Amino acid sequence: MNLVIRKREKSLGWGVLVVYLVALALALFVCALLLTLSGKSGMGGLAILFRAAFGQGYSLLDSLVKAIPIFLCALGVALSFRMQVWNIGAEGQFALGAVGATWAALTFSGLPGFALMPLMFLCAMACGGAWGLLPAALRLRLGVSEIISSLMLNYIGILLLEYLVFGFWKDPASFGFPMTAEFSSGGQIARIAPGVLGKLHWGLLACPIAGVAYSVFLSRTRLGFELAACGEGERVARYAQLPYAFLVFLVMGLGGALAGLAGSIEISATVGRLQPTVMVGYGYTAIVVAWLARLRPWGIAFTAYLLAAFRVGAEVMQLEMQVPAAIGPIMEGLILLCVLAGQFFLTYSVSLGRAPKPEAACPGGNGAEEARP
Amino acid sequence: MNGHEGSERLTSATPRTDIGVADVLPMVRLCGVSKRFVQVLANDRISLSFMPGRIKALLGENGAGKSTLMAMLAGRFKPDAGHMEVAGQPVDFASPREAIAAGIGMVYQHFMLVENMTVAENVLLGQEGGIMLNPTAMRRRVAELAERFGLGIDARARVGDLSMGERQRVEILKLLHRESKILIFDEPTAVLTPVEAESLFAALRAMSAQGKSIVFISHKLEEVLSVADEIAILRRGRIEGEFLASEVESPAELARRMVGRDVVLEIEREAVAPGRLVLDVKHLSGGGLDDVSFDLRRGEILAIVGVAGNGQQQLVEVVCGLEKPRGGQVDILGQDWVNFFQSRAWKGALAWIPEDRAGLATCRGLNLTDNLLLTTRQGFAHGQWLERSRASETAQGLVREHNVQPGNIEAQAWQLSGGNLQKFVLARELYREPRLVVAEQPTQGLDVAATEAVWRRLLEVRKTAGLLLVTGDLAEALQLADRVAVMFRGRIMNQFPVSDAAQVERIGSLMAGLKD
Repeated sequence: MNLVIRKREKSLGWGVLVVYLVALALALFVCALLLTLSGKSGMGGLAILFRAAFGQGYSLLDSLVKAIPIFLCALGVALSFRMQVWNIGAEGQFALGAVGATWAALTFSGLPGFALMPLMFLCAMACGGAWGLLPAALRLRLGVSEIISSLMLNYIGILLLEYLVFGFWKDPASFGFPMTAEFSSGGQIARIAPGVLGKLHWGLLACPIAGVAYSVFLSRTRLGFELAACGEGERVARYAQLPYAFLVFLVMGLGGALAGLAGSIEISATVGRLQPTVMVGYGYTAIVVAWLARLRPWGIAFTAYLLAAFRVGAEVMQLEMQVPAAIGPIMEGLILLCVLAGQFFLTYSVSLGRAPKPEAACPGGNGAEEARP
Repeated sequence: MNGHEGSERLTSATPRTDIGVADVLPMVRLCGVSKRFVQVLANDRISLSFMPGRIKALLGENGAGKSTLMAMLAGRFKPDAGHMEVAGQPVDFASPREAIAAGIGMVYQHFMLVENMTVAENVLLGQEGGIMLNPTAMRRRVAELAERFGLGIDARARVGDLSMGERQRVEILKLLHRESKILIFDEPTAVLTPVEAESLFAALRAMSAQGKSIVFISHKLEEVLSVADEIAILRRGRIEGEFLASEVESPAELARRMVGRDVVLEIEREAVAPGRLVLDVKHLSGGGLDDVSFDLRRGEILAIVGVAGNGQQQLVEVVCGLEKPRGGQVDILGQDWVNFFQSRAWKGALAWIPEDRAGLATCRGLNLTDNLLLTTRQGFAHGQWLERSRASETAQGLVREHNVQPGNIEAQAWQLSGGNLQKFVLARELYREPRLVVAEQPTQGLDVAATEAVWRRLLEVRKTAGLLLVTGDLAEALQLADRVAVMFRGRIMNQFPVSDAAQVERIGSLMAGLKD
């Protein structure tokens, strides 16, 4: 008996959901195991996680607020993943977006909201986009892997943000805390209904707009099609006369712009100023989200929310169980690994089979028959 | 074509008994081994014996089934029928590891070496005895081995610093150290300079003199003649002849045997009156091409024949706009190369049916509608908007008209068999109403029915276009073409109408580079 592995001709249908749920359960099980090994209650930890993430109304809203930047960044990286360009730089592009928006907010603080807000978004998208174009140019001109350069640019982007906050833009009234002055009211995104919907803010609107634009772009436009076709490789692109280099710039620029937009929304809505604490790794979570969702917009929305909820849950776990902060990234990593392993079963079917036995004799041999003992 | 043709028809069921030494057990024996992929019989009842101390060349065009045969020997595929024996014992490899354990070693075209390690470390990687390493002893062992088989190499050198020829020696040393009894080389000279190739041949002879069985896979005729003891010719998945190298008189004779003239299929063709000039190539040189000149008119089929790797690929890349012509002049549809490719229209111009239909002409992971759009998207676009529903209808129509199975346009390209994929590619490219068509190996790997369907379409193309047919299959060229041009080392040796029987008879010699 041995395992027979075949490529699936048809997709699994509802089986997909089962595979994902099993993978998720497995990841959480390993998480609980790790908690138990470190002397905490594994099941208790999971209970806290779920209660904190999904148990109460305000935690659902909190997750939704965190899901906004993750969703936007994930859309951005998904765009480049579509054509097999590996943009790992959403975190840095997010930082640059925050820097660009801050510049606009501090420089034009007198403008009313309807003028200042679009200006902030525009600056954020331009800065984030430019940060995304850098690895694209390096790849196309010098053959540098965009994986390495976009990842490295994350650190540069974050350090740039810190440099500005600790230096030029530091609020003199902040008692030495690294933060800029609070933005004028025109530069802050308002909450939708503070009493009822908690911290949920109007930045949420950017998500359906970006999501619909993403779907329409990919399924209805010529460029969107060319992008998907390029994902099959540069040789096909050359055969079909696809503008490969232009498309690499496009996806990296648009991806950076989306991450930049996420950065500006995040600082403008949640803290109302720029401070280093806004960099909490949404850009990295976004990569996990895009991959788990297999680059589909609805999947990205759902997964972004799920991982945001786990972030909220992990924070509460830290407080209540005194587990290290690393539990959040560990959980994220485990989910990614389990789902990636599970995706094998979406592409291949595995069954137990028996290998056919070799025949004993060879027809028309040339002397071996006699020679065989 | 020649007197041997009939007698060479040694079917795979009865291998010649005078090849190899009868009282020695073959190192490895294939007994009626077959392998089928969806629609293509890649290997058809192949029986071969690999004897110790002999160098056997497997000669065949791309797509003849060489790589499938290798993959079965290496334990990557299992035969559908027949079986293999190692030293007289039937074997059934479940994995490549078992094939290695049985003494079968492969030297692939792409080396599998760790560049940052030394030669000795690479050779012994994963095979050291205990936990502790003894670098001096490792070096000594590898140096001894190299010495014994005449593979001059410095065991201390870092692999990253070595030439391709030296790296290949490291690969060989890996196999020798594992005590592989049979060493299989897949086009080993493709990456070598002529001098390196010579020393490889010397090493092959040294290894065979010490009792190793060597299998040498190639399509280079001179090489095969200079190094092999025995030659087996593989064509369309079958052994089409097996003989001693000493029985072959010249490369020309070998070329004839390799390309073959056996008519698997005949097709009626009516002449079409030639129209205006669609392609005019004058003194094209550079990038592996040497003073290539020819022209092509509407209504004509010009076949470029030759052993693969003699400049056909470079010629196609220039004509299809991938590479700029370095020297000489190329005019397409009355425009020079630069102007034609700048203003390239998707319709009514050039269509290209590449050899690699699964990796180049189509996207594996896209469905048929998207694959239709790949080269016709300009026809379904309003500015930036794509008319997908009209594209789907068109794809459905083409699939029906050309009888592409399965007839479902939601199917992804990888789910189609080679023949159906080729029919689809043809349908798409002809939908563009081209006036110049370039087709490379259009029926390679297809069964008879699919070959016939493709041939009919290509003959139809002549009504509106000129067809440049690049093929390694002489029967195909003679069935379809009006004229034949033979390429050798980037040059066109001669071109003539297929009705010129005297010249047609000499194609084998021309393919081997002999002018007279």
